[in-house]
Amino acid sequence: MSDRTLFQSPISRRQALAIFGIGAATATLAACAPTGTGAAGGPAATAGTGSFAPTDFKFSSWSLTEEAAAPAIKSLLSGYSGKEDVTIEEVSFPYNEYFNQLMLQVRGGQFTGAAHVDVAWLGSLAALGKLQDVSALTADRGYTESSLKAAQFEGTQYAFPWTIGAIGLVTNSEILGKAGVDAEDFPTTIDDFEAALVKLKGLGGGLIPYAASTKAAQLKDILIWMQTFGSPLVKNGTVTIGDDASVEAVAWYKGLYDQGLIAADVDRFDARSLFAQGRAALYDDAPVGRGAVTKESPDPDLASKLVPVSRPTLKAGDTPRALVWGGAIAVVSGAGAETAADFGQWATSDLDTVLADYELRGLPPVTEEALSSDVVASDVFGSTFAERITKTATSNPFWVYPQYAQIETTIAEAVQAVLIGQKSPEDAMKSAGEAAQKLIG
Amino acid sequence: MTLETDLPTAAPIAPVADTAGTGVQDASRRTRRPSKPNALRSERPGVRFAAWAAVIVCGGFALLPVYWLLATSLTPRTEVFAYPPQFFPSTVSWEAYESLFTNPTLFNYLRNSIIVSVITAVLSVLVSAYMGYAFSKFRYTGRRALMYFVLSSQMFPQALLLVTLYSVFAAYGLLNTYTALVLSFTTFTLPLCVWMLKGFFDTIPDELIEAARVDGASRLRIIHSIVLPLSAPGLVAAGLFAFVRGWNDFIFALTLAGPDKQTLPPGLVNTYIGEASTAWPELMAASLVVSLPVAIAFISLQRFLVGGLTAGAVKG
Repeated sequence: MSDRTLFQSPISRRQALAIFGIGAATATLAACAPTGTGAAGGPAATAGTGSFAPTDFKFSSWSLTEEAAAPAIKSLLSGYSGKEDVTIEEVSFPYNEYFNQLMLQVRGGQFTGAAHVDVAWLGSLAALGKLQDVSALTADRGYTESSLKAAQFEGTQYAFPWTIGAIGLVTNSEILGKAGVDAEDFPTTIDDFEAALVKLKGLGGGLIPYAASTKAAQLKDILIWMQTFGSPLVKNGTVTIGDDASVEAVAWYKGLYDQGLIAADVDRFDARSLFAQGRAALYDDAPVGRGAVTKESPDPDLASKLVPVSRPTLKAGDTPRALVWGGAIAVVSGAGAETAADFGQWATSDLDTVLADYELRGLPPVTEEALSSDVVASDVFGSTFAERITKTATSNPFWVYPQYAQIETTIAEAVQAVLIGQKSPEDAMKSAGEAAQKLIG
Repeated sequence: MTLETDLPTAAPIAPVADTAGTGVQDASRRTRRPSKPNALRSERPGVRFAAWAAVIVCGGFALLPVYWLLATSLTPRTEVFAYPPQFFPSTVSWEAYESLFTNPTLFNYLRNSIIVSVITAVLSVLVSAYMGYAFSKFRYTGRRALMYFVLSSQMFPQALLLVTLYSVFAAYGLLNTYTALVLSFTTFTLPLCVWMLKGFFDTIPDELIEAARVDGASRLRIIHSIVLPLSAPGLVAAGLFAFVRGWNDFIFALTLAGPDKQTLPPGLVNTYIGEASTAWPELMAASLVVSLPVAIAFISLQRFLVGGLTAGAVKG
């Protein structure tokens, strides 16, 4: 082939480039055109209770590939697919990436069916307008009132509650006992709590009395302490962070930090490791953490020493605060949604299914019948956790805003600035409150 | 479109140093020079001691993380976070490796990683060789602007391109395919590969190409029979860069590939990092095993890599 035939053609290079550019731009614009059908802001449809022909559907969960949880979830899926003779396509992402990936797939219409979601994400997912209202399927199935509420957003039942609990204080009763603190008679006020932490510090040996979160990634834990000190966080759409109660809470936290009662650079994973190794006497966690700490601990009897305790209050007699935690099954409109809704109802409320799942994962069920069953009631840790922590748990008021993650990050960074002495609690909380308000709009 | 040089073919050819291992070298420089004095073999004990100390410190700095990887993979899970940390595991446990070799999903991730990375490397080298040659040896209006335009695609945050690519691939039904992964990886590897190879082609004297033209070789013949064989180190370097980019990518592989096409980085995270805990020994064992093919490839090709990456750094 000569140079002439290679480089000379009826179309000039400039024309060829222009044509290619126009083609590429058109293709990109066409590809980026919205394909969604749901109207944002409300449920896409209401899942009904009428008869339907079971069809194949997708199920997404971060637990599908997790070593500890996968057997339970797989068993659940095979149980339903065998019962209804359908195929369930599994979709899984790592927990830390799950929310973003699910949002992307739901928004783009690539995912329809049943999705395992954290109750904190419901507000953001509901805003896409593709979640079904499953209230017709949750009626008369024996769900507890509090669990149903945890899976609602703005009064709509956007998901079936599945494993609803709370995040609260978990203690090692043996270490507490060495310091003369009784886990069964744990301090109920903040002053007494701090005094107990000082006693624990006195045990020496590098013990961290309270492995509270101090890394920015997990410092959102401070919000429950702000509520304990009396800050509502949000009132009628106005962010109250920066009020006296939130400032007082952060100043108290900083005091614990300065006294060495809490440690630097701790997040939930670090706290579990420290607690499992016997280097921390108490930490904040949900029921799901029990399996992790007992498996990582060199102490084979740690499980029997775990005692959940109520969070201390500002004044004796106040209601202890705890943050709702849990998983739910949401139904995304589209192919297989009816069967997915039926699966969601069955997986979360069929007694045999729920108890089989409980035995494998140990996570708190959501129906009265399951909670009162021998299997669940005889689990001392589970029932104590429910009684002392979950009973008074409330949702994070920021969860109703799709920007809740950014809001939490803003506040966490401000608190971290206080802990390392860059800002005063007053200044940090004032600017964090203003930034959070801007995000809410 | 013209070749860079307007020199008459009879012009004297300047000697060219073989800085890039092209094999193009003046005969007068081929004489082997005495090797430089080696500090590690110095007769002065002080110099020798200092040299070995530097090697040990630098080597330790580079290899300590690898050792920690190995030690953690052999440590029972209950001792991973033992305090104080143990440099040597008190008990050696092979459980992590046993579980690794009995997990078929991991082999699926490994296969996907190999397929995607190899195709990315081949495609990147193929396309960037022609682009690099056009940038290096042709002179035309807008050449520089086009070169910087190609490079500018590296300036965009990956997350920005991810959403766009996701929409494009979704519209064309390419999600959950190898094609989506290869195309997206190539999007990122091409600019650097093109610039890397352009730098390499710049070191090939235009006089050599002129001589081939005088002998009647077509432009494609010149590229395939003269330029590309002389550029082997550059092609290998570009290919390795593209391979590693495809091998290590996490977020694109996670987003664009479904469970069947997922590669090792998202696969390992999905398998071993859970909501409540991380299986550190298993994760470290898997990381170590899957790093071996890349490490072996690097060791066997590192002389090309160094030559290819430094090409054009010093013009002869």
